[in-house]
Amino acid sequence: MIIAEQLSARLGGFRLEQVSFEVPEGSYGVVIGPAGSGKTTLLETVAGIITPTGGTLRIGGHDVRTLPPERRRIGLVYQHGYLFPHLSVEENIAYGAGAAGADSGADSGADAVAEVVARFELAPLLRRDVVSLSGGERQLVAIARALAMRPRILLLDEPFSALDPARRARTRREVRIIHREWQLTVLQVTHDFTEAGMLGDVAILLDKGRVLQSGRPEEVFRRPASPYIAEFLGAENVLSGTARLLEDVAPDWIDGAPPLEADGHHALEFSSGSLTLYTVGAVPSGGQVYAVIRAEEVVISRTPQASSARNLFRGHIREITRLGAYARVTLDVDGVPLVAALTARSVHELGLAEGVEAFATFKAMAVHLC
Amino acid sequence: MTGKRLPAVSAILSAIAASLLLLFLVAPIGELVVQGGAAGVRQLGRDAELRAALVLTGATATIATLLGVVTGTPVAYLLARRRFRGRAVLSAILDLPLVIPHPVAGIALLLVLGRESMVGQGLLLAGLRVVGTPIGIVCAMLFVSAPLFVSGAREAFARVDPRYEAVARTLGDDGWRVFRRITLPLAGRGLLASAVVMWARAVSEFGAIVILTYNPKTVSVLSFDRFTSYGLSEAIPVAAVLVLIALVPLALLRALRGERELHAGGMQ
Repeated sequence: MIIAEQLSARLGGFRLEQVSFEVPEGSYGVVIGPAGSGKTTLLETVAGIITPTGGTLRIGGHDVRTLPPERRRIGLVYQHGYLFPHLSVEENIAYGAGAAGADSGADSGADAVAEVVARFELAPLLRRDVVSLSGGERQLVAIARALAMRPRILLLDEPFSALDPARRARTRREVRIIHREWQLTVLQVTHDFTEAGMLGDVAILLDKGRVLQSGRPEEVFRRPASPYIAEFLGAENVLSGTARLLEDVAPDWIDGAPPLEADGHHALEFSSGSLTLYTVGAVPSGGQVYAVIRAEEVVISRTPQASSARNLFRGHIREITRLGAYARVTLDVDGVPLVAALTARSVHELGLAEGVEAFATFKAMAVHLC
Repeated sequence: MTGKRLPAVSAILSAIAASLLLLFLVAPIGELVVQGGAAGVRQLGRDAELRAALVLTGATATIATLLGVVTGTPVAYLLARRRFRGRAVLSAILDLPLVIPHPVAGIALLLVLGRESMVGQGLLLAGLRVVGTPIGIVCAMLFVSAPLFVSGAREAFARVDPRYEAVARTLGDDGWRVFRRITLPLAGRGLLASAVVMWARAVSEFGAIVILTYNPKTVSVLSFDRFTSYGLSEAIPVAAVLVLIALVPLALLRALRGERELHAGGMQ
């Protein structure tokens, strides 16, 4: 388990400021953030390479701020691998196996090396000079080297970026299996949102050295805490406007008062220009309110469809962007653009084209106010 | 049109300037080797004083270099890796011997290590005489050439990406093991090259040595002595031998640099 509370660190002119997050024992955490947001600095602080200037860092229940890196049993894999160029691939992998801090003796150290070599199919590379390896091979060897010492925590800094798509999927799967089998706590830096959603139990969103939001990935993606986060996470529909509670005016689609257990959640009406959306949730604090609707949540049809969805709008298709099997359709609703993600097949079967009249539908629950 | 002509003109001017400088540097040395190289090598067989000077120069330069490497390596590492108060001052102090005239360095050393000084008297009590002995030669060589090693070694350490060391730390090595297993091998060629430069500088030192220890004579002092006592013709073979000795580390250095550049191409 990794618990950071108000953790601060400094590297040259860059500051990591009062970072708080928690990655439970055996969980897979992903750190997402733009370049220069402090992702690598965060990993280096957790690994003990950078000494914190404030706050607390607890690993496995112990305060590790003064514990040197060699006694933390934390594997660290940098994006570029940093394989030791004066050693062979085999020597690199075996470097930390059976080390004083590792959870193994000499024999089990050799076993751990054999296991990771088999898992990542590295046997043909063992005698190679690391300088001759491709970028992807280096990343694989670097992951194997970190795992061969049987760490209790694995820190990965964009470890799959140099791998080809097939190898990336395979390696990601192997790391995931090891994570489960060894009950390994993993913290991985990525800027690939798909990867974050696929791998993560916990997502930590970092920007300019601060944590913007952390929590379950689906929660962070569906319910971003600010319009900046929403746009950063690739939410296509971020509308600014005003919100008001609907209970006051007794909406026709709610009977009576909400039940006690739903206290704090309200029916809301959100207006942005000529567009009025219905939603449920907590009332966001602050003056300006933003509504976030992910493009995947918007359904497009040629005729108005009767359904449980509370939001139905008529408009004209402004633009269709085809991206292979996927298409991004922008519907103009009285001057407000609404983006929907569709399969290319749906676009074809519905006969969608620029200028065509169409309807957009999404549930009240798909609208997140922040 | 003018824009195209200008680079061509500047390239020609640069080539002429470079050729003139090269000629100025190579011509005297080439002439010396051509005139006295063969004679110097032949003279080695029959000139016992030259042979003794050669052995003395090699031995004292080697001892000075070893001392420089042992004491200079930690300082170079410190300067390359740590940020601390007084770092700039330490750096400036280490560069000082490079900017003062070498006879002045000899006089300064004489003040500190001579028999009139406290250190000199202490050393005499311990049975060590500095002035007029090979110890004085080693001290003079160390003083003028150690900064070259520290400067080169510092650069060699700075070229090693600290992330290699960081990874090694996470793999279970403490600071000393990381230094031994990662930093030293990765900076090794740079350190060796710096030691070679230091050795070559020590071998060619004259100004500080002549103040501290005129006798026994190093090759540089001997060439000066032959010139002042017997004239140019007697000095040429001795000077040529010194040039030939200096060429050996220079060739070694080129080989090391070539390999390092090749090696650095595929790091990370």
